Amino acid sequence: MKTRESILSRLGKAAHPVTSPESWHGRWSGEDMVTNFADTLRSAHGEVYCEASLPDAIERLGNLLPHHAVRQVVANEEPPLKDLDLPAVFPKITWHTPPTGGSLNKERPAWRQACSQADAGITGAELLLAETGTLVLTSGRGKSRLVSLLPPLHIALVSTSRLAPDIFTWADGLQSPWPANTILISGPSKTGDIEQTLSVGVHGPKKLVVILYETLR
Amino acid sequence: MSAGMREFRQRAQIALEDARLQNALENATGRFWNSRREALERLPDSDGLRDHFKEMRAATLADLAPHWRTFEKMAEMHGTRIHWAQTGEEASRILLQVAGEHGAKLAVKSKSMTSEEIRLNHSLEASGIQTVETDLGEWIVQLAGEDPSHIIAPAIHKTKEQVADLFEAEAGKAVPADIPKLTEHARRRLRGRFLKAGIGISGVNIAVAESGSLVLVTNEGNGRMVTSLPPVHVAIVGIEKIAPTWADAAVWLSLLARSATGQPLSIYTNVITGPRQESDPDGPLEVHLIVLDNGRSDLLGTKYEEALQCIRCGACLNVCPVYREAGGHAYGSPYSGPIGAVISPLLFGLERNVALPQASSLCGACLDVCPARIDLPRMLIELRSDSVEKGLLPAPERIAELAAARVLEQAGLMELAGKIGRIGQRFASKNLPKLADQSFREWWRNR
Amino acid sequence: MNQRQPSVALFVTCLVDQVHPEVGIATVRLLERLGFKVLFPAGQTCCGQPFYNSGFPAEARRLAKKTIEDLEGFDTVVLPSGSCTAMIRAEYSHLLAEEAEWKRRGEELAGRTFELSEFLSQQGVGLRTGEVYGLVTYHDSCHMCRILKVREAPRRLLKEAGFKVVEMREPDRCCGFGGLFSQRMPEVSSAMTEEKLRQAAETGARTVTTADPGCLMQMRRIAERLPDSPEIEHLAVLLERQNR
Repeated sequence: MKTRESILSRLGKAAHPVTSPESWHGRWSGEDMVTNFADTLRSAHGEVYCEASLPDAIERLGNLLPHHAVRQVVANEEPPLKDLDLPAVFPKITWHTPPTGGSLNKERPAWRQACSQADAGITGAELLLAETGTLVLTSGRGKSRLVSLLPPLHIALVSTSRLAPDIFTWADGLQSPWPANTILISGPSKTGDIEQTLSVGVHGPKKLVVILYETLR
Repeated sequence: MSAGMREFRQRAQIALEDARLQNALENATGRFWNSRREALERLPDSDGLRDHFKEMRAATLADLAPHWRTFEKMAEMHGTRIHWAQTGEEASRILLQVAGEHGAKLAVKSKSMTSEEIRLNHSLEASGIQTVETDLGEWIVQLAGEDPSHIIAPAIHKTKEQVADLFEAEAGKAVPADIPKLTEHARRRLRGRFLKAGIGISGVNIAVAESGSLVLVTNEGNGRMVTSLPPVHVAIVGIEKIAPTWADAAVWLSLLARSATGQPLSIYTNVITGPRQESDPDGPLEVHLIVLDNGRSDLLGTKYEEALQCIRCGACLNVCPVYREAGGHAYGSPYSGPIGAVISPLLFGLERNVALPQASSLCGACLDVCPARIDLPRMLIELRSDSVEKGLLPAPERIAELAAARVLEQAGLMELAGKIGRIGQRFASKNLPKLADQSFREWWRNR
Repeated sequence: MNQRQPSVALFVTCLVDQVHPEVGIATVRLLERLGFKVLFPAGQTCCGQPFYNSGFPAEARRLAKKTIEDLEGFDTVVLPSGSCTAMIRAEYSHLLAEEAEWKRRGEELAGRTFELSEFLSQQGVGLRTGEVYGLVTYHDSCHMCRILKVREAPRRLLKEAGFKVVEMREPDRCCGFGGLFSQRMPEVSSAMTEEKLRQAAETGARTVTTADPGCLMQMRRIAERLPDSPEIEHLAVLLERQNR
């Protein structure tokens, strides 16, 4: 406690009071959010599909899963996934969803095991940022942070109605209650640490696929 | 950690003689620099954004205590435990205590320049806690027993063959010197550690006061692993890395990756607001934050306060013609390049780092690219002046400078000195400029 | 034509005076040929920059005051040096910040002080196009391009005078001089110069030119040791040669 007081008192001795500037007003001003999102994410080695409807998006998913030889899936319980009976649609695939019940604490180790063995993790997204090609995911009931992290393949199904222009729009909308974890994802895991040569998939997913679909507003 | 004149020059010389390193430095810095330029050009008003950011950082630093109080209140409300550390030793002690309470034997670490600064790994290893750096570049450097040589590309100086040898020594079996295979090897090898570790240690890019959140940016995803898998996450942050609001943090983030690598955002921007909540299926049980001063508050209110605006993007390294020749190790500090030349003497002592303020041609390229427009050339000049005042310059040099100034105060004396110099210079070092046979003013008088 | 001949005061800089007088001579001849009357304030020595940059602000301040006095009463001051111009223009007011009257005089001097190519460009003088000379590459000296923000003027003048200008990969990468830096860190400094000269050679230009005597001195000194280096000339010398 003594250290705290002493540091805080030392922090008070900055040169001169300075008024904070007005908040930054520059905003991404492009017209076509879908195209910009897709182009930007693709240039970061993400894969993006634009489908006309949710059924088309599920069909796309049906093509992708066997293509990547996916047999085990972990999927978050969030829109649009939780209203679709995907295990019934893909009977050949073993499907796991995060534990939510009263015995959560007991089930955590098994859930973690499932995430580290799964071939793919499937999520939705709270928001998409058009300027930077970014998915915004949050943690919470039924929403695991490991789904988008441990499996080699991360697939996100997201309605285009969740597109927002940029990171400033996202920041403007933040408010309590705060989730324990929010993650902005702008591509598959990558590194340039050996001879500055790009290598995809060092710790997180090697592949990131976003399936966008149109919804009537 | 020190850089006397001779040490700096010797270490730079080693880098200069290493043709492969020269090539790697030139390519990597050139590529970062180009990507940065293109990324900023794509913004509608990058100059305005940087001006805004500078004002915002200055305003924040002028009022740090209330921001940290807000941060503390919000973070504690979300269950994050805050520890304050005046020095590196205190920070290490706190970390060891937390690790001890949980009986952690294995720590996984995501890149943190602040932890490099306080040599945290040494303290951990000395206490019997195995510590694994998980950023690929940091891991390579750790296996080699070296220091990072670039703020964002720590292993810039290593070839894939050298990396393969290091991996082989660590794993006890041969690994081919092929970049995708090396990456895959690291993925498999480190995945096991993430799952086993008792504690995750990370740095922090931004502490956001408004919500008491920690923002942690990585491309590889190791930052997410370290903060999601182990039961305990301990983060360490310098007192300067705070943003009052999310609006401020958004400006910060929109400049950070663009300035560093030219990406619009890094692959993962990870926001941590406390340990896992009751209904979260995963996440750490405990989140601790160590707020470190380590000499930073001494700069507040001084002509060096501006140096605390730095966000460690590394842009100044990539454009620095001195860094691009001498490499990072010459600086003898985890912070290299122009920002390192300024903050290493300020944080670790000018006496032990006399070479650093001199390691600049004052070309000003760093000021041009800094997202916070930190006037590094001005501070280098100030540090040179401090060196003179503290008597850290060799006496003959100091006397020569004072004498030269006296001579130049009178045109007649200068002319006389020039004439003597012309005669004397045949005995002088080849490194000195050769005086002309006839000075301009002689020509002017005789025309 | 009864117009009064415009006059300029030449601040030749200490380096040109003692090491590269040919730059000063070319500057005088060029200005005179373009119709200016050139004056040489005789007491002038050094702007103080070497002392300012190496941590001797008190010495720099004395030289700054001396320079302000030496150049008092001249309407226009021209220098064949970007960095000395930058010193007067940008640093005097910092250096003299504590002494209001000197600061004012320094700022007043800054307002009428110009780097040579900047001055010629502002005056809109018409250079004669000499014989097409061949490829030249221009080195942006650090303080000229970053503090004075003068990048276009020298290039435009070179083209006007009949040179074909080719660009280096990084025309504004420091040549390695940095005043005392080249003495204190000779290994790194020389390596920087070699990189500069390598980039210059890649352009295929026969001549490297710059508007700073410091860079000129540094590049020449290192070029002497290297095989196949291009010739290195000050901008004023090239322009004067084409305008005889």
